[in-house]
Amino acid sequence: MAVGRTIGGRLIHLIWIMFAVSFLTFLLMFLAPGDAAAKKLNAQGVAVSEEVLEQTRVSMGLDRPFLVQYGEWALRALRGDLGASYKDGFPVADKLVRALGRTAVLTLSSLSLALLIALPLSVLSALKRDSVIDDVTRLFSFIGNSLPNFLISVLLMYFLSVRLRVLPLTANESVQGLVMPCLALSIPICGRFIRQFRAAILEELGKPYVSGAILRGVRRRYVLKSVLHNVSIPMLTIVGLSVGTLLGGSVVIETIFRWPGLGKLAMDAISNRDYPVIQGFVLLTSTVYVVINLLIDLCYRWIDPRLNESGGEA
Amino acid sequence: MKHMRGRLALILTICTLLTLMVQGTATLAEGGAKWLKLAESFAYPSLDAHRDYYGWYTSIYGVTETLFRVADDLSIEPLLAENYEVSEDGKTWTFHLADARFSNGAPVTADMVARNLERLATLNERFAYLSDFTFTTDGDRTLVIETPGVYPTMLSDLTAPETAIMDLDGTSDFDGAPIGTGPFVVKSFEPEGTVEVEKNAAYWNGEVKLDGVTFYYMQDDDSKLMAMQAGEIDGYTSVTAAAKEIFSADPDTYTVTSIPATRLQFYVLNENRLDGAVRAAINLAVDCDALAAYLGGTVSPAVGPFSAAAPYGQVTKPAPDPDAARALLEEDGYVLNAGGVYEKDGAPLQVNICYYAARALDSIALLMQEQLGNIGIDAALTVQEDPDATYVATGDYDIALYCMIADKAGDPYYCIDALYRKNSKWALGGFPTEDSEALIDALQYETDVDQRAALANAVVQMTIDDNAFGYVGLFNKTTVTRKGVSGISENCPFDFYSVSAETEME
Repeated sequence: MAVGRTIGGRLIHLIWIMFAVSFLTFLLMFLAPGDAAAKKLNAQGVAVSEEVLEQTRVSMGLDRPFLVQYGEWALRALRGDLGASYKDGFPVADKLVRALGRTAVLTLSSLSLALLIALPLSVLSALKRDSVIDDVTRLFSFIGNSLPNFLISVLLMYFLSVRLRVLPLTANESVQGLVMPCLALSIPICGRFIRQFRAAILEELGKPYVSGAILRGVRRRYVLKSVLHNVSIPMLTIVGLSVGTLLGGSVVIETIFRWPGLGKLAMDAISNRDYPVIQGFVLLTSTVYVVINLLIDLCYRWIDPRLNESGGEA
Repeated sequence: MKHMRGRLALILTICTLLTLMVQGTATLAEGGAKWLKLAESFAYPSLDAHRDYYGWYTSIYGVTETLFRVADDLSIEPLLAENYEVSEDGKTWTFHLADARFSNGAPVTADMVARNLERLATLNERFAYLSDFTFTTDGDRTLVIETPGVYPTMLSDLTAPETAIMDLDGTSDFDGAPIGTGPFVVKSFEPEGTVEVEKNAAYWNGEVKLDGVTFYYMQDDDSKLMAMQAGEIDGYTSVTAAAKEIFSADPDTYTVTSIPATRLQFYVLNENRLDGAVRAAINLAVDCDALAAYLGGTVSPAVGPFSAAAPYGQVTKPAPDPDAARALLEEDGYVLNAGGVYEKDGAPLQVNICYYAARALDSIALLMQEQLGNIGIDAALTVQEDPDATYVATGDYDIALYCMIADKAGDPYYCIDALYRKNSKWALGGFPTEDSEALIDALQYETDVDQRAALANAVVQMTIDDNAFGYVGLFNKTTVTRKGVSGISENCPFDFYSVSAETEME
């Protein structure tokens, strides 16, 4: 029952959120200097006459008042039609689906890899606090956190493609093509996860029930199991936030590694004042955020059933 | 047992990684056929040559051709049109078509050409004017185009890659597999991604030397540089200054070609805000050679908007002379204050340079600020994301930096009309006069090529003498190819040509 209430409440929130963000985005794009017609016609740096520009504005419907433009878009969107891109006339929904697929693959693979590395390392680092293992792990975490995405990407390309020639830069959307962007995205996430997971585990290890259990002679693996269970909620929060951010796309990685996902789509749309694509992107990402938050809340309840009874959130 | 499982997982992981690496190596080593691999900075969602700018890329891919093409020396030469005649009144153009065939073997007929141009007029806003023309045919190989007025830029317009002739009856999939007359046919097309073309075995205009070409979409400069170094691609254009230096240092492996192209960096001096002496001083202070040198060979210093190699690029401008600039200001009543800035009636000489951060205009703005500072002019910089919606639209600038293609296809009228007309967006800078307008009117209707060049030179010289504009540089088209690769239009200043039947790799 509590779960049903949570899902229902979130869905109602989602409707309001989608209306608010779509209206605000449309308004901001409308107020920002720039013109979708000019962007489309001048794409290659060719000048066009004011007459052609005006005709194009009219044909694109850009000459109409803001509320009319927004209202038409909103009515179409309610019917499930996100319209066509101003830039190339192709359906926005198709573009979003294609880009979301690529971003989802990249996000999930990067997160999986980051978790695969970060979880054991952070546990080991916390258990062997101030040892060589801990120092090395923290150094890796520090470097991963500090290096910007583009630098990691360039280093990966240089060593794996130019020097060792084991991974081609021209690989398309295949497993081969996924390896370098996945690594480039995973390294900083991994660094962040290790730092945050380690801190959470150390905090939990310092709690009296852990010392008590050890003093009572409970085997360390059982103590560790309890500790990990108890830190799983903060860990889940950290992972959930990362999923949301990653699903928004990473322009740098997507551009460098020719993996055109949502980030690049959104950036190109903003540069071209491609309002229908921007609106579609905003709706999609807000939905993704709400759904992920909902899933995380449901996971909290699964991990800690007491939350179901209280009806509260973690 | 658990240990066994762990080891098995480790072995499987290692095997997967090794497989990936081997696959990677295999991709790098594949080949045998004469298959060229190039990188392109743009990619589009469709190959329909008539829509948007997609025709630029079907031309680059060697899939489509036009009635005429622009040669490396900027002259217009026939391609699908064998020859043409124009009536005495300049309103009727008769084109005799070459015996060309589409890649599916169908002949290129006058009717098909007419239908292509009519389709273009309906699908592309920039070519909507074609709907004012009347197209009639006389047999299979003669097309007559009648225009409402004299239309001297007809040939130049018909070189535009968007005027490509496709077989409109041979396919309905214009987005993915258009049928053109070019030396290559589409093998695979990934929207906004990789495009593969293969040899058109039945090419009407000679033997095609390559078996095929793959065009990888690579927007990032570092990716292109490293793909070239890794041996994954055989060439690309728009090489950055840093990459050019790297490639030039290894002449045994790479060939770098750099020629002045058609994209112009220029600035407009607002005549409504700056008096003649100040404008003259600014133009004398701006040293285009120094700017070009700073930009590392990616641009060539410009005298006017067009290449000096073109007959309509024959203009002159004074050499940079900071002393003469200072003298001009002093003659105009300016005195140098203690801060090293000229002032008149207590007001310092300050100018506002507006620019946008693209096409190296940000670097140029900074260097101009420094050069103007050297002659005692205090220049402030204003950056905008969208110049057309801000300073260009409002005229709120002293100096407005901009970049555009100046020579679209071997004729000066397009640029002159866009920059110097009374109804152009740059008219807010205050240049157009009755004299300039009369010259441009004459240019619009002049059919003689030499006369057109003379008129164009006169108008551009007027802008220089009036210090209404400053022409900074023409972007170089810099191409790098692996040794042994030739004929990817590296000596052609236009962006919309690349591979042809003559493209070769050893």
